[in-house]
Amino acid sequence: MIFLGLFRESVFFAINALVVNKLRTFLSLLGITIGIFAIITVFTIVDSLEQNLRKSVQSLGNDVVFVEKWPWTFGENYPWWKYMNRPEAGYNELDEILRKCNGAQSAAFVTSTQITVKYKSSSIENVTIICASHQYDKVKNFEISTGRYFADIESSAGRPVAIIGDVLAQALFPNQNPLGHSIKINGAKVDVIGVFKKEGESILGGSSDTQILVPINYARSLIDIRSENLNPQIMVRAKAGVSNDDLIDELTGLMRSIRRLKPMAEDDFALNQTSLISNQFDSLFGVIGIAGWIIGGFSILVGGFGIANIMFVSVKERTNIIGIQKSLGAKNYFILLQFLFESVFLSLIGGIIGLLVVYIITLLAGDSFGMEITLSKSNIILGFTISILIGVVSGFVPAYSASQMDPVEAIRAN
Amino acid sequence: MESVIRKRPVVLSIVCVLGFIWIVFSFPAVFSPSVKKLGDWYPALFGLIVAASFISYIGVWYMKRWGVNLYIITFFVKEIILIFIDDVNYVGILFSVFFISSMVSFYKRMDTNL
Repeated sequence: MIFLGLFRESVFFAINALVVNKLRTFLSLLGITIGIFAIITVFTIVDSLEQNLRKSVQSLGNDVVFVEKWPWTFGENYPWWKYMNRPEAGYNELDEILRKCNGAQSAAFVTSTQITVKYKSSSIENVTIICASHQYDKVKNFEISTGRYFADIESSAGRPVAIIGDVLAQALFPNQNPLGHSIKINGAKVDVIGVFKKEGESILGGSSDTQILVPINYARSLIDIRSENLNPQIMVRAKAGVSNDDLIDELTGLMRSIRRLKPMAEDDFALNQTSLISNQFDSLFGVIGIAGWIIGGFSILVGGFGIANIMFVSVKERTNIIGIQKSLGAKNYFILLQFLFESVFLSLIGGIIGLLVVYIITLLAGDSFGMEITLSKSNIILGFTISILIGVVSGFVPAYSASQMDPVEAIRAN
Repeated sequence: MESVIRKRPVVLSIVCVLGFIWIVFSFPAVFSPSVKKLGDWYPALFGLIVAASFISYIGVWYMKRWGVNLYIITFFVKEIILIFIDDVNYVGILFSVFFISSMVSFYKRMDTNL
């Protein structure tokens, strides 16, 4: 009960300090507010970006290896002229991989390009068309909201069928079911047999919302699938229990044998995996996090001195009251806790204002950028922790000096 | 109730100064990205340890027994947490043991009051 009484009294003193010396308190709390704002904003942005990136990478597949001409990441002084002369991944290599690769659960040959799609008078330009072999649904993570995936016969015979993205469906077929209708791709009629489930914006780009998927055997009649501009690739998903590293080792040997490379010859293909992208982003997020930490750290340091200053002034102003309290029997710890609670409370006010500003910004930014930015529970806990810590550290010395005062001298003080 | 001013030995002054330096370096680490990655509650726990250590050093600086008691409790809590997250720092333990032995050797000369 005594602690509740103390807490109530300290809150009263803190509010009193806020009301009586508005400008002084505001300036002192500003440091804490800016510090919490800077640190939590950076952490919130980094966390949200990481979350979105993880979601995007997951849609590509964590256990998928991409056989391509170019590697996704380069070091310094990379021999680009060697990569230039490499052959593109070929459709015939897919059959070899499917037959011989023991670690592969499924594999698909995929190319993509930009086309114009038409339905009656509606037309959309620069739509990404994905041309894929039949097992694409087993190597790429996606869901179909309406309709179905290609039948085996449709893929192998190259029937003019397509699965379209949710945004395209809304744009081409407003207020009607797209299934059973035909769209025109480069002038050719293609039946819509399915619509992808809405995915939302992807940080890596390539959201299925704005894509069209057609069988690769049909795409041959529309485009040159061997063209380097179409970025042909073979996506290979590992069997359950087979690690990506094991799959890469097996694929390396298999691709070398398919391309008949001599033992001393360098690989003329790249085996990419999604962890390459996430590793690159991890280091970037690390740098941003440290920058926010340093900027916010200095603001909090200044804020801490501000709180310490306000508490010293508060002790000085209330010296007589401290003397009277002690002469009436108040224990040292009572005085100490009284000032310490006040300091923590003041610091918490600064922190809460900072967190509120971050929360408002996340709401505004989420609407503006179309990306989900959320103030997470862990960041709120961190904000409160920092505020309390600052309050304790900066308020302890003034509070302790108040608790050690001689009652007689304290009462006499002006 | 009577508070006696006690002279602080040089060893304890050095211990406290080193401790305050440790606090200065540890304080920003509470909200560092690397500490945050260890878990949602770890920054809060680490912050509590840093704050408790700071208060204990102030207690030792003023030659108060509660400072030594608080330091020892904080040390054990900190080490238990570090064992749980598998991040035991043997150099840190050596320093802490030296600090504790220095504090305990002057324990009888310290003030029992707050």
